[in-house]
Amino acid sequence: MPREPELSLNERSFVLQALQENIRIDGRSFDAFRGLELNFGDEYGVADVKLGKTRVIARISAEVTRPFPDRLFDGIFTITTELSPIASPAFEVGRQTDQEVILSRILEKAIRRSSALDTESLCIIAGQKCWNIRADVHLLDYDGGLTDASCIAVIAALQHFRRPDVSVEGENVTIHAMEERVPVPLSLLHHPICVTFSFFLGGGIVLVDATLQEEMLRNGELTIALNRHGEICQIAKLGGVAVEALTFLNCTNIALVKAQEISRFISKKLEEDLKEKNPSRLLVELSAENER
Amino acid sequence: MALSPLVLPGDPIPPGALPTSSNPSIPLKLGPGLRHIPPDRIVPVVAGELCIDHKKNAVWVETNGGRYIPTAGDLILATVHHSTSDSFSCSISPHTPFASLPHLAFAGVTRKTRPQLNPGSLVYARIALANKHMDPEIECVNPATGKSDGMGELKGGMLFDVSLGMSRRLMMPNPSAQGSMVILDEIAEKVPFEMAVGRNGRVWVDAEGVAKTLVVGRAIQETDEGNLGVDEQRKVAKRLLRDL
Repeated sequence: MPREPELSLNERSFVLQALQENIRIDGRSFDAFRGLELNFGDEYGVADVKLGKTRVIARISAEVTRPFPDRLFDGIFTITTELSPIASPAFEVGRQTDQEVILSRILEKAIRRSSALDTESLCIIAGQKCWNIRADVHLLDYDGGLTDASCIAVIAALQHFRRPDVSVEGENVTIHAMEERVPVPLSLLHHPICVTFSFFLGGGIVLVDATLQEEMLRNGELTIALNRHGEICQIAKLGGVAVEALTFLNCTNIALVKAQEISRFISKKLEEDLKEKNPSRLLVELSAENER
Repeated sequence: MALSPLVLPGDPIPPGALPTSSNPSIPLKLGPGLRHIPPDRIVPVVAGELCIDHKKNAVWVETNGGRYIPTAGDLILATVHHSTSDSFSCSISPHTPFASLPHLAFAGVTRKTRPQLNPGSLVYARIALANKHMDPEIECVNPATGKSDGMGELKGGMLFDVSLGMSRRLMMPNPSAQGSMVILDEIAEKVPFEMAVGRNGRVWVDAEGVAKTLVVGRAIQETDEGNLGVDEQRKVAKRLLRDL
């Protein structure tokens, strides 16, 4: 009978006492992320993110479908999340928990509704054919920071993904195999990053990237999604303790610094991956894509 | 300490590797990770180190991993989940069913002086009964002597999660010599602390103040996660004590 791990009274009072003394259990400072690792798979569009002990894999896939009748000029982009018992005994198969719903809603708002992916570029023939881009998020190990890690995974995977090239002659659409024509990257307008803040002791203490232990003790949370230019895409404060406006402003400033750091980290990793996979930069030379 | 051979599941174990007891009346005992296939084959079912105790005529496979399975006689750290009319239901790990801890299984307790444990209290207990398909039963008293033997509710301190192999290493009679676990001795020279190790992969540590407790906990966790050798453990101990 698996269930959520519970904290003993000893752990609760110790963690809170430590926070009052400005100490975190894992020795980080209050505004520090855990060690972030990012690896790409052999295929396009697979990103494996490790944030401390939390591990998330995102996979992007594309297929050609008919666009929605009310959006004839747009492609389709969906994000699905899956929390399976492999990550934590608290997750069950087939039953959507509140946590899973909240996660997919936040990702949806941060990435899809902020139009990070330009869906108009996914249109092949208006009203008849378009690309359906699907992002699957799989959680493999859970130690808090789920939203942040999933968002990083999806954004990195979207940047890494290449879809097959398409040519249109009248009504005929040809999808060229990956070997035939250089596959095309998705057109991303910006790269939002989620940063979650946890409030303790009535909002007096603010932590970035809480572990599972800290998440179980927090009085409130705040997720800010923003890109490296400081454009905020969403602020999610779902209940919890009331927070002063000044603290709120402070959080957005910290979030901006973190988003810039993470964006830089992702682009560095993408460059490394590109170099590793085609050392002669052949694909880059062959590509006819224009940089936006 | 002689290097023990590594075995993989299904490997044949040569008869020479089995313990040779001086007293032929003691039967050969197979511990965790080994399976007897009649008439005379002994096959490991997990990968790990083949350990032999010649005195007890016992052989088992030492491996670090997996979930804790309650076994009678193990000392564990359990969290009280709720109380029923005559026992506490305690959580040993998120994967195991609740263990029952009778109200009367404490040292020096009568029907009138039952212990009052709130949900979330931490107890150091021994598994009294663990059968398949049955909820385990635990106790905080030695039934032979009626004494607590150090078991009971733990107050203050902090709980740290470690691997099962590490908790077995810490429970050896002499961890520094048998399990090459020198980091605790190094730290104990500077920081006095109290600790209780549970077989279920939990370690409770209490020292004076938050920072000192964390030094001990981090030392154990870092040794466990990095699988550190003796010299590396000394380095970690020095670093942790310097930062204190």
